[in-house]
Amino acid sequence: MQLTLEFGGGLELLCESVKVHNVNVDLPKGAEKLTMRDLLSWVRTNLIKERPEMFMKGESVRPGVLVLVNDCDWELSGQLDTTLEEKDVVVFISTLHGG
Amino acid sequence: MACSSSTCNSSGCYKGYNEEERKPTTRAAVNGRNSHQNLCVKCKSNEPICCGIDRDDAKFCRDCFKTNIYGKFKQAVTYNAMITPSDKVLVAFSGGPSSRVVLQFVHEMQYRAQRNYDASKDKSLPVFGVGVAFVDESSIHSFSSQEIEKAIEDIRSIVSNLAPPSKELYVVPIENIFSSDGFDGKERLKKLLDAVSDDTGKEDLLIHLQLLLLQKVASENGYTRVVLGSCTSRIACHVISATVKGQGYSLSADIQYVDSRWEIPVVLPLRDCSAQELNTLCGLDGLKILELLNGPRSGINGLVSSFVKVLQEENPSRECTIVRTAGKLTPFHFNRIPEIHDSNVPLATRRRQKRHSLKPNGSLSSESFCPICNSPLDKSNLSSSLSSLGSHQNSDILAAACCSSCQFQILPKEPSLLEQFVSLLPQPLITKANHGDQGDFSLLREQIQDFLLSDGEDEN
Amino acid sequence: MEADTKPKKYGPRLCCICNQRRAALKRPKTLEQICKECFYEVFEEEIHQVIMENQLFKPGERIAIGASGGKDSTVLAYVLSELNRRHNYGLDLFLLSVDEGITGYRDDSLETVKRNELQYGLPLKIVSYKDLYGWTMDEIVKMIGLKNNCTFCGVFRRQALDRGAALLKVDKVATGHNADDIAETVLLNILRGDIARLSRCTSITTGEDGPIPRCKPFKYTYEKEIVMYAYFKKLDYFSTECIYSPNAYRGFAREFIKDLERIRPRAILDIIKSGENFRISTSTKMPEQGTCERCGYISSQKWCKACVLLEGLNRGLPKLGIGRSRGLNSDVKKDIKQGGGTESIESKQCGSLDF
Repeated sequence: MQLTLEFGGGLELLCESVKVHNVNVDLPKGAEKLTMRDLLSWVRTNLIKERPEMFMKGESVRPGVLVLVNDCDWELSGQLDTTLEEKDVVVFISTLHGG
Repeated sequence: MACSSSTCNSSGCYKGYNEEERKPTTRAAVNGRNSHQNLCVKCKSNEPICCGIDRDDAKFCRDCFKTNIYGKFKQAVTYNAMITPSDKVLVAFSGGPSSRVVLQFVHEMQYRAQRNYDASKDKSLPVFGVGVAFVDESSIHSFSSQEIEKAIEDIRSIVSNLAPPSKELYVVPIENIFSSDGFDGKERLKKLLDAVSDDTGKEDLLIHLQLLLLQKVASENGYTRVVLGSCTSRIACHVISATVKGQGYSLSADIQYVDSRWEIPVVLPLRDCSAQELNTLCGLDGLKILELLNGPRSGINGLVSSFVKVLQEENPSRECTIVRTAGKLTPFHFNRIPEIHDSNVPLATRRRQKRHSLKPNGSLSSESFCPICNSPLDKSNLSSSLSSLGSHQNSDILAAACCSSCQFQILPKEPSLLEQFVSLLPQPLITKANHGDQGDFSLLREQIQDFLLSDGEDEN
Repeated sequence: MEADTKPKKYGPRLCCICNQRRAALKRPKTLEQICKECFYEVFEEEIHQVIMENQLFKPGERIAIGASGGKDSTVLAYVLSELNRRHNYGLDLFLLSVDEGITGYRDDSLETVKRNELQYGLPLKIVSYKDLYGWTMDEIVKMIGLKNNCTFCGVFRRQALDRGAALLKVDKVATGHNADDIAETVLLNILRGDIARLSRCTSITTGEDGPIPRCKPFKYTYEKEIVMYAYFKKLDYFSTECIYSPNAYRGFAREFIKDLERIRPRAILDIIKSGENFRISTSTKMPEQGTCERCGYISSQKWCKACVLLEGLNRGLPKLGIGRSRGLNSDVKKDIKQGGGTESIESKQCGSLDF
C-alpha cells in the first residue's frame, strides 16, 4: 500500500532528517486492512533510526506527538484503530520541541 | 529533631532552603564519611542498618532508627495536641504498613500512659482510650470470601495481640454507610458507584465514603478522634493529584496534622514519615502487613503515584519537598483541634496547644463545603456555578453546591442520571451537606438563595 | 478499496459548530470536533477574549513579541498581528529575538524569525550575547564545558530580552508561553518547594513593578492547538533542540503533563486553576529589588546575576556565582539553583521556559 508519511516538529531528526517519506507498506499477514497500529510498528522498524522512545510509548505514539491522517486529527478516526487506505497521507508532529 | 533520611527537609528537620538543592557530590561525600566510620550517626556505637532502597540512607542503627520515627510521631501528637488523656481515639486500620505503624505507635503511647497511671498516686488523669476500625470493602472488590475472611482473622489477631489495655475492633462493611437509610446497602453502593463514569471519580468517591463511614463509627461509639496513617508519600501524592484536579484552593485543608472540619476531628500523626521508613520499620519489628487489601490506583491517581515514585527514586527527598511546599500554603481555621476547655486536661497541654496550633483565620462559619468531598469551596467558583443553576430541583441544588472537581469527575452530566445519583447518596452525606439538618436540602437551599440574592443585588 | 471503510473516516464526522464541513480536530479544551475554518475562528477569538478580559494591552502601546522562531512565538506573532488588525488594538508590534551565539541552532532559528519579519510585516530587533556581554554561548561552552551552561544562558537571556525591549522602547513584552508550559511550571515549583515562584507563575502579566512587564496571551491555549494551528496554516517555524542541552525536554514533568492530557485533557487547565487558587499568604517575603551597581539592571543583590557570571567568565573563574561556591555576593548562591536534582526534572528546552 502506497502511503506518504511526514515527520515534523523535530521528529524528522529521528529518521535522518528526512521529512517526507513515500513508502510502500505491506498488509500484515492474514489481515485485510492496514491500521495505524500496524503502521506505527512498521515505522518504528523501518524508518526510525535513533531514540525510538522519542516517537513511541507502548504500541502508540508517545503522548505529545500529534497524528493526522489526511489532515484530520487521528483522535477523530479511532487513533490506533484508524484504517488506512491507498495514497493516504499520515503526518506525525512532535509538540515537545521548544517554542 | 533529627530525621532518618539524610536529605529530608520535613518540618521536623528543616535545615534551610539550600540543603535540598545540594549537589549530589556533596551528599555522596557526607555519606562516604559515614560509611567509612560505619557507625550510627546518632549513638555512634552501633552499626547502621540498611533501610530500604537507598543504601546511602543507612546511617542510623536499628534502635536509633526506631526511636527517630517514633519521635516524629510523638512530636506530631504533642505539638498539635492530637490526643489528650480524656480522649478516645479510633485508629483507621487498612492492614497496610502506614496504618500498621500508626496502630503500633498509638498503642505504645497508650501503654506508656497506662504504666504512668498505674505508678502514679494521682488518679485524676485518665488514660486515653483506643479503638480500631477496619473498613471491609469486599462487597465492591473481587476478593474471594476466603481471602477476606483470612484478612479479617489476621486483623483480629493483630489487634488482640496488642498488650492491654484492650482495644475494641470494629470491622465495618463499606455498605454500612447506608445502614441508616434502611436499604440493602450492597446493592445501593454498587448502583451509586456505577453511576460514576470516570474511574478516578469512582475511586475518589469511595475514599470520601470511607472517611464518612469512619466518622459514623467514631460518632456512634463515642470516639473523639479519628487517627489516619497517612504518611509523607501518601500526602505528596495527594498534593499533586489535588493540583491536577483543580483543587488548589482546598488543598491546604487536607494535608495538615489536624482536620476538624468533620464532626470528629481527624489527625495525621505520621505526616512526617515516609512510606519507605514505615516499610522498613514493619520489617524490623516484624509487624504483619496485609498486602491484598491495597489494590493499585487507577486513572489520574495511578498516573500521579507513578510520577511521584519516579521522582522519589531520582531524588530521595522529593516527597518531603512536595509536602513542605504544600505546607507553606495557608491552612484553614479548622486545621486545629478545637480549643480545649476541659478542666481534666492539664494546663500545660492547653498552653502548648495555644502556642503551637494555628491562629484562627477568618470567621468560623463563613466556609462552605462541597457536599460530596467536603472540601472548602472557593467563593468565586461557588457563585459562578450557582448562577448557572438550571432548576431548583434537589439534585441541581446539590450539584451546584459541589466543587468543580466533583462536578466533573463524580456527578453524572445527564439530568435524569444526576437525579438518580443524588437519590442514591447515603444519608450521612446528605446530613453533612445540610449541616446536621434532617432531610430535604432545606439548609442548602437557603444558603443558595442567599447567594442568588446577593448576585442579583450586585447587578442592580 | 472497500467503500464501507470510507464513511468511517470522512462521513458522519461533521464539524459540530458549522455542521457543514468535515471535522479536522478534537479540541482538548472542549472535546468538540471541529473543522479547520471554525478552529481558526475559535482559536483566535479565545485569545482575543483573554487579551480583552485581562486588559493585556492598551491602545497605542508598543509591544515586543519574544520571538525564538519556534512554534509558540511564531503562532503568537501571526495571531497578534492578525488580531491587532481585525480588532483595531492600535498596537505597534515588534519581533524581539535573542541571539545566544549557538552555531547550528540559533543561527538557523533566527533565519526563521527573519522570514517571519517579512511574512508578517513586523520590524525585528535581534540582541546578541556577543554584543551585550562580549561572549557567545559557543565561546562560553568552550570555556566552561557542558555543565552549568544552561545557567549562563538562562540568566543572560532573561536580561537580554529586557535590554532589547528597552532598545525598542516597548511598553511590554509578549511571550509564547502556552497552557502546557504554565501547568508544567506550577508542578515544577511544587516539586522544588519554591513558594514565591509558585505564587507568581500563573499570573498572566508579570514584572509590572520592573522595567518592562511581560504577558502571556497563550496562558489558556493548549500546545496541541498551537501546533495544529501552525500546521494547518502552514506557518513557518523552526523545531530543533538546542545542541548544548539535547533532550532537555525529556523531563518527567512534561511527560507527566502529556500523560495526563491523554486521559483527561482538562487536567492542564485544572493545574493552572489550582495554581491561581492556592492559598498563599501575601506576606511571603519577596526579595527587595534594587539595581545592580555595575550595570543598573534590577537586582536584589549588589551585582545582578548576569554581572556576577560575567565577572567569573572574564576573570577565568567560571564557577563564580554557580551553585554553592563563594562569590562576590556571598549569598548569590541562594538565587542560582543548580544541581543534580533540579536539572533532571527540568523539562522543555530551557530557552523557551526562561523567556
